[in-house]
Amino acid sequence: MSRNSMIKTVSVIIFAVLTTWSGIQFYQHRHYQLPIVAGPGVTKVVKLSDYCAGLKGTMADTHVFFLQGKEEGGKILIIANTHSNEPVAILSALVMIENARVEKGTVIIIPQFNNSGSRNTKPGDGYPLFFDVPTGWGSKKFRMGNRNASPLDQWPDPDVYVHYPERQLLSYLDVRNTNRTWPGRSDGPLMEKVTYAAMQLLREEHVDLAIDIHGAETMFPVTNCIVAPDKSMRIATIASMTVTAMEGFENHVEPSPKGFRGLSHREIGDYSDTLPFLLEAPTPFLDQPTGPKTVDLLLKGKDPFILSLSKQKKLFVPYDKSGWPMEKRVGQHCSVVLEIMHQYSMKNPDRAILVSNAPHYADLVKNGVGHYFHNPNEAKKGSLYFN
Amino acid sequence: MVLHIGIILAIMILAYAWAGWKKLSVELCMLASAVAGGLAGAFIKTPPIGALARHLIEGTFTYLDVILVFTTATIFIAIVAESGGVNYVVRGIIKAFYRKRIIALLLLMVVILIPGALTGAGSVSILTVGAPSALALGYLGISKKKVTAILFIIAGLSAAAPPVNIWAMIVSAGTAIPYVGFELPLGIPVIVLGTFSMLVLGWKREEKKELEEILKEMPEVPDKMTWWRVLLPFLVFFGLIIVARIRPFSFPILGLPLEFTIAGIIALLVSPKKINILILSRDTVKLLLPLLATMAVVGSLQQIMTATGVRGMISYAVISMPLILLYFLLIIIIPFSEGILTYGGAAIIGIPLVWMLDSIGLHATVVIAGLSLLWPLGDGLPPTALIGRLSVMMADYKGSYWSFLKATWIPWIVITIVGILMIIFSAKLAFLVRWSM
Amino acid sequence: MFIVMIIYYFISAYIAGMLIWNFVREKKDMQQMLLYLIVLVPLVLRIFHIR
Repeated sequence: MSRNSMIKTVSVIIFAVLTTWSGIQFYQHRHYQLPIVAGPGVTKVVKLSDYCAGLKGTMADTHVFFLQGKEEGGKILIIANTHSNEPVAILSALVMIENARVEKGTVIIIPQFNNSGSRNTKPGDGYPLFFDVPTGWGSKKFRMGNRNASPLDQWPDPDVYVHYPERQLLSYLDVRNTNRTWPGRSDGPLMEKVTYAAMQLLREEHVDLAIDIHGAETMFPVTNCIVAPDKSMRIATIASMTVTAMEGFENHVEPSPKGFRGLSHREIGDYSDTLPFLLEAPTPFLDQPTGPKTVDLLLKGKDPFILSLSKQKKLFVPYDKSGWPMEKRVGQHCSVVLEIMHQYSMKNPDRAILVSNAPHYADLVKNGVGHYFHNPNEAKKGSLYFN
Repeated sequence: MVLHIGIILAIMILAYAWAGWKKLSVELCMLASAVAGGLAGAFIKTPPIGALARHLIEGTFTYLDVILVFTTATIFIAIVAESGGVNYVVRGIIKAFYRKRIIALLLLMVVILIPGALTGAGSVSILTVGAPSALALGYLGISKKKVTAILFIIAGLSAAAPPVNIWAMIVSAGTAIPYVGFELPLGIPVIVLGTFSMLVLGWKREEKKELEEILKEMPEVPDKMTWWRVLLPFLVFFGLIIVARIRPFSFPILGLPLEFTIAGIIALLVSPKKINILILSRDTVKLLLPLLATMAVVGSLQQIMTATGVRGMISYAVISMPLILLYFLLIIIIPFSEGILTYGGAAIIGIPLVWMLDSIGLHATVVIAGLSLLWPLGDGLPPTALIGRLSVMMADYKGSYWSFLKATWIPWIVITIVGILMIIFSAKLAFLVRWSM
Repeated sequence: MFIVMIIYYFISAYIAGMLIWNFVREKKDMQQMLLYLIVLVPLVLRIFHIR
C-alpha cells in the first residue's frame, strides 16, 4: 500500500469513528424519553394529535395533561417549551403537573409543545445535549433542545417564510418556530399543524386563558414580564402589580405588537375567544455575550460578562453576583401563572379556576426546583408518561 | 474565567498561524484553530473532552442548507454554460446594447440585483446570472478585475435589497422587531449605491474594439441554441420562487436547492448538446470544494468559539465599547464579523447591538437597514470571503484575490459612509419606515 | 411536503456520492482529501436521519 493510500485509509477510519461517536450522541439525544410523573391532580392525558390528525405518528406529537377539578369552572391552557432552549418553561410545567390539584375548573398543560425542537440541537451555539436537575432521590435528566423544530421532521425551509394567514414575510427559520406559526393550518408545514392543533384545543375545549411560558435574554427589553394583547391587558397588569408587591420579584407588562404576526400572544387573541398571555423570565444562558454555554450557566445564571454589563447598565433586569438561578425563574413563572388564574377567577366567579398545592416563588427559592419532582421509579402504575 | 477564555483565544490564533506557516489551506487553518481551541477548553471542561468531537461535527451542520444551495446552483449554471447558453445570452446582450453602454450597465445591474433580492442571498445572484453578466461586462470593455469588483458589490447589495434581507430577518427575529417597513430604508440606498458603483467601476472603457470584431472573438454557440432554450430553465427557477411568494398556502415549500435542481433538470432536457451530468456534477463539486469546506469548518469554529466562551467575550467587547468609538469601529467590526461567521455575525453582534442602540433612542428598523449595507462587504473578507470568491470564480479572474478587492475601494467607502450615517441619523430617517408601511 | 423531504435526502445522497467519487479519484493532494471528508460528515449524518 502506498503512503498516500495509507493516509487516505487512516483518515477515513478516523472520520468514521468520530462521526459514529458523535452520531450515537445525537441519536441518544433525539430519542431520550423524559419521564413525567402525573401527579394527584392529573385526570386525563391525551395527545395533541387528537386535535389535528396530521400530527399522528410524527415527532411533533406530544402529551397534553388535563387536571380537572370536581367542580365545573373555567379552563386554562399552559404551554411550555414552545422554544426548547428555554427549559425554564418545561420545569415550571412539570412542577404543576406533578404537584397541583385543581379544586374548580380545568388546567390543561402541554409540557413539551415543540417536541421536535426539544429533540433538535442548535448548531453553532455550543449547547450541552442534556442537563440534570438535582432532586431528593437523585437527578432528573432533561434534553436541551433548540428554538426551532428539527429538520429531520420538517425539511426544507422556504427561502422566506410567508406567515399564514396574514402573509407577513418572516425569516426562513421561523417556519420551524412554533412561536411564529400561530394560528397554523391543518394542511400546512408540520409546525403550523402543531399550532393549529393547539388552536383547535382552545376552541373545542372552550378555554378561557392561555399562557405560553418562555425565557429571554437579560439584554432583551421584553424580559421579566407578561406580554399581553389589549384584550388580556387588564388581567396582566393587575397580576403583574400583585406579584411585584406581594411576592418580592420584579415584573412588568409589555403590549403585544399588532404588526408582528405569528406569535401566540397575538394570534390566539385574534383567532379565538381565549385571553392569551406570554411570560418571559430572564435567562442569561441565552445572551450572546456570555462565557461558555455550560449546564452551570443554564441552571445558575451566573456569568462575569453579564455581571459587568449589568454594572454598565446595559441589562433590562436587575443582576448581581448571585446570578439568576433556575429556581427563581421557575418560581416567578409559577407565581405569575397562579396570579393570572386568581385575577381571572375573581372577575369571573362562574368560570373560576381554583388550584391548590402549587408552589409559589418563595417556595421554589427555598426548596429548589428538584424538590417538586417525583421519583419515576416509585410512580404509581399508569401515572408515568414519557415525552 | 475571563483569563481562561483569553488563553483559549490566544491558542486558537496561534494554531491558525501555525497551520498557515505549515502551508495548509484556509479551511484547514480554521479547522486547526477550532480543534486547538476545543482541546484547550477541554482542560477546564468547556467543552468536556467527551463532547469535543460532537461539537466539531455539530458545527458542520450550521450551514448545511447553504452547502446544498451552493452545490445545486453551481451544477445548474454549469449545465447552462456547458449547453452554450451563457455564451448565447452574452452575444445577444452585446449585439443589442453595445452602442448604448450606460443602458447596458444599468440593465446588467438590475439583472444581478433581482435573484439576490428575491432570495436574500448574493451567492444566488452570482451563481445564476454571474457568469453571463461577467462576460457581457468584459465585452463592454471593462477589465476582469473591475468586472469581479462589480459582481461582488452588486451581488452584495442584492442580498441587502428588499424584499428578502436575511441579516435584517435574523436581527429582527432576535430583537422582536417586526420585519416590516424595510422596503424604502433598504430599497433606496441599494438602488442609489448600485447605480453609483456600476458607473464608477464600469464607466471607463479600458479596451475599445469594434462590435464585429468582438462578435467574431466570442465563443461559438451550438446551432440549435435558441432564446427559449436558455430562458426556460431560468423562467422555471424564478417562476417557482415567485409562485411560492404569490400562492404560499397552496404551493408546497420547495426550498432553493430543489428549485435549482428542477431548473437544472429543465436545462439538461432543453440543451442542444448532450451533457454527461455525472461527470459535470463531479467536476463542479471538485471546483466548489474550498467553498463547501469553508462553510462546514466555519460552523465548527463558531460552535467551538461558543462552547469555550470566546464568542461571548468578543460579543462582550463590542457591546462594552464607548458609543463614539463603536460608530467608528463598526466600519471594521461588522464586515469582519461577516467574514468570519457569515450570517452568525448578525446574531452574535447584530442582535445585542440593535438592542443597545434602540435603548439610546435610535430607530431600530433604520439601524438594521444601515447595518445591512455593511454586512455584505464582509462577504469579500477572509476567512470565508464567500461572495468575493464566487465573484472571482464566475468572472474567471486570474489575478490575486487582494488586487480585485482593492479595486472595490471607492464603492466600499461610499457604502460604508451611507450605512454608518443611516445608523447615526436613524431617528431622522424613520419617515422611510412609515412610508414603506 | 413529505415527498419534497424525501427528494432532499436524494439530493444530499447525490452530492455525497460526488464527494466520495472525487475523494476516491484524488491520489495526491492530502489537503483536498481531508476537505472532502469534512464536507461529507454532515451529509452522511443527515442521510442516515441522525441529525
